[in-house]
Amino acid sequence: MAMSKDFYRALEDIVGARNVSCDPAVTENYRCITAQSSAHYGPYATRTPKPLAVVLPGSTEEVQQIIKLCNKYKVEFKAASTFWAAMGYIGSDNAIQLDMIRMDQVEIDEKNMIATCEPFAIGGTVSVEAMKRGLNCNIAGVGCSSSTLAGSSGWVGFGPSSIFMGIASENLLGAEWVLPDGEIIRTGTLGSDGEWFCGEGPGPSPRAIFRGWTGTAGTLGVCTKISIRLHPWPGPKWIPVRGTAPAYFADGLDCVRAYTVCYPDWDAYAESFRLFYEADICYLAHRQFNMFGRDIKTAMVEIFTHPEKQFCDLPALMEDPYIKEQNEQMKVDVQIVMAGFSDRDLDYKEKAFDEILRQVGAHKSEYYLQQDIEDFVKLYLLRLGRKNYNYTLCSSYEGNFGLSGNVFVAAPLMEEAAALKRKWEQTHTGVAAVGGDSDMGSVSGIGGGGTTGWEFFVHFDGFDLASIEDSNAHIEETAAWMKEKGLGTDFGRWNADARKPDGYNYSQAEHDSFYEKLPQPAMAEYQWKIREAFNPNHLTGSYYKTLTPKEFRKGKK
Amino acid sequence: MAKKSLFDMTPVTGYEKKLEDFFPMERRCSNCLGCKFVPFEKIKSNRFGRNCPSVWYYNFNLYSARGRFQLGQNIIEDGYVGWEGQALDAIFNCQACGACDVACKVTRFNLEPLAHNIALKERAVEKGKAPVELKAMAAQLEKQKSMLPDAKKADRAKWAAGLKLKDLSSAKETAEYAFFPGCQYAYDPDLAKKAKTYVKVLLKGGVDLGYLGKGDMCCGGRAKQTGFRKEFEAEAKANAEIWKKAGIKKIVTPCSDCYHAIKRQYALLGIDVEVVHAVELIADLVKQGKLKFKKRVDLSVTYHDPCHLGRLGEPFIPWNGTEKKILNQVHTWQPARPRYAGTDGIYDAPREILEAIPGVRLIEMERVRENSWCCGAGGGCSVFNPEYSDAIASERVTEAQTTGAEAIVTACPWCEINLSGVESENGTFMDVVDIVELVAKAL
Repeated sequence: MAMSKDFYRALEDIVGARNVSCDPAVTENYRCITAQSSAHYGPYATRTPKPLAVVLPGSTEEVQQIIKLCNKYKVEFKAASTFWAAMGYIGSDNAIQLDMIRMDQVEIDEKNMIATCEPFAIGGTVSVEAMKRGLNCNIAGVGCSSSTLAGSSGWVGFGPSSIFMGIASENLLGAEWVLPDGEIIRTGTLGSDGEWFCGEGPGPSPRAIFRGWTGTAGTLGVCTKISIRLHPWPGPKWIPVRGTAPAYFADGLDCVRAYTVCYPDWDAYAESFRLFYEADICYLAHRQFNMFGRDIKTAMVEIFTHPEKQFCDLPALMEDPYIKEQNEQMKVDVQIVMAGFSDRDLDYKEKAFDEILRQVGAHKSEYYLQQDIEDFVKLYLLRLGRKNYNYTLCSSYEGNFGLSGNVFVAAPLMEEAAALKRKWEQTHTGVAAVGGDSDMGSVSGIGGGGTTGWEFFVHFDGFDLASIEDSNAHIEETAAWMKEKGLGTDFGRWNADARKPDGYNYSQAEHDSFYEKLPQPAMAEYQWKIREAFNPNHLTGSYYKTLTPKEFRKGKK
Repeated sequence: MAKKSLFDMTPVTGYEKKLEDFFPMERRCSNCLGCKFVPFEKIKSNRFGRNCPSVWYYNFNLYSARGRFQLGQNIIEDGYVGWEGQALDAIFNCQACGACDVACKVTRFNLEPLAHNIALKERAVEKGKAPVELKAMAAQLEKQKSMLPDAKKADRAKWAAGLKLKDLSSAKETAEYAFFPGCQYAYDPDLAKKAKTYVKVLLKGGVDLGYLGKGDMCCGGRAKQTGFRKEFEAEAKANAEIWKKAGIKKIVTPCSDCYHAIKRQYALLGIDVEVVHAVELIADLVKQGKLKFKKRVDLSVTYHDPCHLGRLGEPFIPWNGTEKKILNQVHTWQPARPRYAGTDGIYDAPREILEAIPGVRLIEMERVRENSWCCGAGGGCSVFNPEYSDAIASERVTEAQTTGAEAIVTACPWCEINLSGVESENGTFMDVVDIVELVAKAL
């Protein structure tokens, strides 16, 4: 689709010529190849559409002017910061892409325990700045290379730290938000000079509109600043690191302990989650290394902690009797990190932890008690800087058998799900054969209620079309099985109604055909009204679930 | 299910040689953002958390290693983009500093971003698309055996006037080491004095040293970094021939670019010669007590790790393996492929020297060793895009100033030139000192 010269010149006037481009080399670079990203609807070898232009705004005012311009010219827009997920990319041929990379500032309000972040402030830098003040932030499981703002404003945001620090919706306080029509809304109090702070004022909650539970994936305008709640950090201002890449270890972090718990069965696993939550002893809790697969997880940790080892060493490591025994013991496992705010505090937590293990019949993995391995786990989970380990095995992955739900619902089905995946690994070559169970997930949010977030990692090769297609078929099969079990939509298909396999937006008519079948279609009708009020020109894609109310569908209005 | 591949690929044997060999990597990059930041375990602040000068300056994703992987797909595999416009801009404005490469390798075992970036440059050069300034540089190399614009072959040995160095060119005299100054030390009048100082220091330490006189030539490393592969290879082969005739087995150079070129790039061509950087020898001489520091040098300094001495200065490891999938889809190299994660570069020798000098106080910057920020002179960018190159240098000077040190010390003439006289973001300057100057003062 051609772009008007006037529109492009106006963009240049707003951000300066060097911060906008319609050169194909640039615009082609902002097409998401969904097999190379965890898109939660594929994977596909297709690409999202090419934007008319890519714009790099440097301030909220510039964002506002860009959006007003888009409304004037009826051009769609989508903002993203780190561009990992397909949901950050445009979905039509009549759209521009906003890359928020120039807005990367973080401000820490130590007294009020608040961080104010711009879009390109990633979890890694926000947490580093917070730690200097004895504070820390929730980093979503997606990893510290992702935007804190995007995770907090646009998506669910579970992570290892959620049991202590909450998930994204539990941490978002104020927001500066440019609506799809160009109006700016500021909620709460931003910045370090405010003596009083609250997430929102009396009356209807704009935050519920802004993000709700799962977030609106950037479809209700552009968030240019957020403030999030920070949490105490008892450790040093910077985590000392020893070792050589990739074998980095936290050095001398004595106020933190990391363990891997081995369970006799899934019932014990679920019960311990309840007890961990009630005892309030965990700083981080995550089933992490199982994401590589039940049969290879210990071998993978061996590779990551020994710089001279590589994946070609996997077969020999997998045959090692000691490693086999560790895998067997850790069939059902979880990583737990406790932080002591005093020696007594840490002693208490250790004792409570031991008691929980005793009650459920679990034990600590001896493998993970080795100093280097414990230090590797501490650094891995505290920093969460190895997002690319999701991909490292085969180059791509997608999560399936994934939900945010109650651990007592999920746990009894884990072995069945694992068997389903193992069968697929044995009968098809497209998915890495790692032992069926490749579940990864967090233990709880601070809101409690047994909520966990988990997903099975499906590892595949993004260079191999057969592998991509095979993985997609497996995820489809799992999604059908989950529906049969009454578990709802699989995490791997959460965005299946948001973007077509060819990468384009769905039309409203298509959305209507999906959402009129929802158990509670009124929710999508309500969101339609919100969308009409906030986004009258429908300029931000199809990730927001909207159902045209019956009276409008039938042409009554 | 029958296996289909996205491409009808012939498996690559050994290190990738041409752009097409990188197709699988282009498709296997997962857009994790690692190539834009210092490895996340090593980040110390938001202010100095970035690692890639190119995407830091230009901001568009195209200018990152990931962007260039995707560009490779678009330009070669799919033909969506031509060899023109911002594609060329992004290709040539890579500093080839390797920061993306070491960050990537913290988590990935099957991607080579730096080699891919250079392969893109090489293809652009083959198509005649290099910036005119770089073409002129390559022509100068062919004519005068140096990539410096005003250099003349006849003046090559002038820097050594007055030095009593063995002339190894005729093979009549022999020495354990041949001193290879590199173009900057040979032709720049200020740096030439420092080259002499290097020689004097090494001789004082008892090193058996000679040089090739007018027989010296450019190492060609800059040609490799800028994509002029044929010119580089011609230069490397010519040097190898001269060294062979002169019976030279060991080379010592004060230039980090030359060090990298000979150690890694020559080795890739099968040229077998031992090379050490002068700081390695000096550090050894200090340890052995052959050089003793007698005078105080009261100065607080911060050390800038040159890319080509540090993360790109790791030893070359021959490898001739292939890709093999195990466990259905797990990608491996058989046998294990060298990873070049940057950690085995030359980091300790210069620091040991500084710590041994009485009165010198070393204060480290945030981005050090394999995560050092480039000086801005890499990839030939200072030749054709000085504004960009200066901005990168300014960022480094700003970082150096935050340490409170009085001077930046380095061990590479390119870094020294590029960091000198550049304003920090506060509009102030810092002294930039060649490490040999401090050594000479203290002896």
